Amino acid sequence: MALKRGSRAGPGAGQSDATPVGSDAPGNDPSALTVRQTDVAAPIVVTNTLWRSTDPNAYQGSLEPEVTHLREVEASGIARRDDARWTGALEVIPTKADYVLDLIRANSLWPLLSGLACCAMELMSTATSVNDMDRWGMFPFRASPRQSDVLIVAGTLTTKMAGPLVRLWEQMPEPKWCVAMGDCTCSGGRYKRSYATVEGIDRVMPVDVYVPGCPPRPEGLIYGMMKLQQLVKDRRGHWPDRAVGPTVPEDV
Amino acid sequence: MTTATPHGARGAGEVPSDDPRVQLDEALGVFEPVPPYPPRTEREAEFYTLGDGEMFLNMGPQHPSTHGVLRIVLKIDGENVVDLDPVLGYLHRGVEKLCENADYHHSIAYLDPLEYISSLFCEWPGVIAFEKLLDVEPPPRAEYLRVISSELNRILSHSLFMGWMALDLGGLTPILWSFIERDEIAEILAALTGQRLLFNYYRIGGVNGDLNHEFLSRLGDWMSRAASQIESNLGLLNENEIFVRRMRGLGTMDQATALRMCMTGPNLRATGVPLDFRRAHPYSVFPELDFDIPTRDEGDCLARYLVRIDEIKQSLRIIDQCLHQMPDGPVMAKLPRLLRPRPGRAYAAVEGPRGQYAAYVISDGTDQPFRMRIHDPSFIHLQSVGVLMPGHLIADAMAVMASLDPIMGGVDK
Amino acid sequence: MDPVLKRRLARRFGERLTAPIHQRHDETEIRIGPGDVPDVCRTLHDEPEFGFLLLADLAGVDTGTTMQVVYHLWSEASPDWLRVVADGLSRDDPRVPSVTFLWKGAEWMEREAYDMFGITFEGNRDLRRIYMPPDYQSFPLRKDFFLPDDAARSPGGGVRHMEQVHTPRAGRPATTIRKAPA
Repeated sequence: MALKRGSRAGPGAGQSDATPVGSDAPGNDPSALTVRQTDVAAPIVVTNTLWRSTDPNAYQGSLEPEVTHLREVEASGIARRDDARWTGALEVIPTKADYVLDLIRANSLWPLLSGLACCAMELMSTATSVNDMDRWGMFPFRASPRQSDVLIVAGTLTTKMAGPLVRLWEQMPEPKWCVAMGDCTCSGGRYKRSYATVEGIDRVMPVDVYVPGCPPRPEGLIYGMMKLQQLVKDRRGHWPDRAVGPTVPEDV
Repeated sequence: MTTATPHGARGAGEVPSDDPRVQLDEALGVFEPVPPYPPRTEREAEFYTLGDGEMFLNMGPQHPSTHGVLRIVLKIDGENVVDLDPVLGYLHRGVEKLCENADYHHSIAYLDPLEYISSLFCEWPGVIAFEKLLDVEPPPRAEYLRVISSELNRILSHSLFMGWMALDLGGLTPILWSFIERDEIAEILAALTGQRLLFNYYRIGGVNGDLNHEFLSRLGDWMSRAASQIESNLGLLNENEIFVRRMRGLGTMDQATALRMCMTGPNLRATGVPLDFRRAHPYSVFPELDFDIPTRDEGDCLARYLVRIDEIKQSLRIIDQCLHQMPDGPVMAKLPRLLRPRPGRAYAAVEGPRGQYAAYVISDGTDQPFRMRIHDPSFIHLQSVGVLMPGHLIADAMAVMASLDPIMGGVDK
Repeated sequence: MDPVLKRRLARRFGERLTAPIHQRHDETEIRIGPGDVPDVCRTLHDEPEFGFLLLADLAGVDTGTTMQVVYHLWSEASPDWLRVVADGLSRDDPRVPSVTFLWKGAEWMEREAYDMFGITFEGNRDLRRIYMPPDYQSFPLRKDFFLPDDAARSPGGGVRHMEQVHTPRAGRPATTIRKAPA
């Protein structure tokens, strides 16, 4: 069996100087651990450069890649655009009828089926038979954001998912509310130090109710939803401005 | 629509620029199925080239039946799926990096939410790997407790699978029944571990707590009716003509392909390979337990479903034997709080409800793991949707994905 | 600890191994150079005396000085896990031949190793990022990629603003209220 290979310098050939390699086995002879010269024997090389089509007009003329990172979402100001609850130009103004309608809406909040991670399991558990959210009118989990009232963000928000989630929030028509369920959405939770998570969804969207827990018990989520109902009733007819960002009262 | 221009590419000037939707798209980035850059790999080029009569359909990260945040770009010809490209990473939380910067004890808590349904199986290989590095053996009572809690977790996971399988086929009742099942088991495990979902029960050298009265009373109460309750739940599905006829012959995978796709667990056993790591590479107290390994030959969705159902029954058997055989003793080995294993590497794998869960830990002698590699079965099985889905209708394609039972927390780590 | 497996490996691959075969608990570890990966894996997969049909795991490792790719294989013929370490990849341009010709399921595992470390797998038809967004510039699991908390402990610690640990000044309140822009 041919064990020695000719010294063809293939792409990405191994080092030319031998480096001693450590091993966890005690008492090893260091000279036996050297990496000998190796080279890649006739690989199928797929270069990792941009592929270009033979048709120069294809793919919109080979545009540069568009950025999809959260930094650009924040910098573009999308997350701070106005909706009815913010100071600034109001596109939707509550009417006198909303004073009564909000009482009705409070008892018929339709959540969006938007479970991201583990808290989604507890969300589903709250929605099913044992802890039934249907008692408060919240059973129909709409699949489309156009038909839902509440966005219960259940699960860790990653930077890749932040764009789609903000878009879901934008697609929801007014009046809409947002519930941050679970520690990861309130503050980043156990993933606070991670490179790929958003530390709390209030960095990208306004939040009405925070339900802490990892994951919160179904009873806890029901308490949070009842608080939301109370909030809707308290705010009826008057849709105040909200901020994006952790909001802490002054005397705390 | 020529084949050179991907679907959705707009020439400049086709859409009026004062339309607010266009501003939204341009501001937030393109949310179209086709990526806005030219393809970077062979496979990407092959996929994002449309044939005659084909179109892209984006099943975005928010979708009722993608088991979490998974984005699949389907290339469809009418209702038939021609090809698909799953896009992952919408739940990538950087667990491996976080484990490198945390203590050995803290790492166990990071391992939980990977596959949040079967979180004890995510902790277990990490704990075994740490114990291998430290040359520590947990006491036998702790091993039995681990087996009992993990088999309860397996039943929980398979009950939920049964519900989601039916949900993806359109049945809305079984998911409610399976969540009733799941709630009961979650309360049993909450009595033992203190948590309903992310148990954080295993420790290096044992488990966190011993049996208590509430756990035993709940467990006894549930087990006395578990078998008949599960049978009646399944009776809704197993003999349902629509369910069976839709699943039979769907997404058939043969043994060679399954091994080439590195499948493990019930998905592999449904193709006829009787590989179960509890028997093939025994760990913990499984050599002393008597149970069968359900295997089927057909390799279709129905076989994958039936294998998991049979596994529930075997798990009940295992729990029963453990409760009878469990010895007395401590539930945790005596270990110092500051753990510094000697430099080395350890690999540990367990058989979970989805397949092989494994952890590969490299220690450099400090109190933090040098490298914590987590191997997750859902990640591997999700590759198979690219093999199984093409050729089916969209509705059947979702059934195929449900039968592979992926959990996105594990896929994205 | 499988002595039979150790003998067979030594007999078959003796000269290619760059380190003695190491066995501990139920794992057997061999180290090879990156160029030997396709041949060794094909031998381990096809030969009936080995029969390592299942690729259990494919991982990248950054040791700080080199990069490695670690394959874990399982066979019915041996009670041990076999760990194949392709050692000695450079940290600047780590390249390894792909094993997707043997196990198609390795494709995504190699994509993950590329995404996290930057290891290029030659022969993988689909080597693009799998977890991070496609325009992400860094490779997160490399040892020179620091989480902000840990950056203070890094060799260049405290140089970048994010790496400095600030204590709040006495006069400034710890919490501020942030409002949407008017």
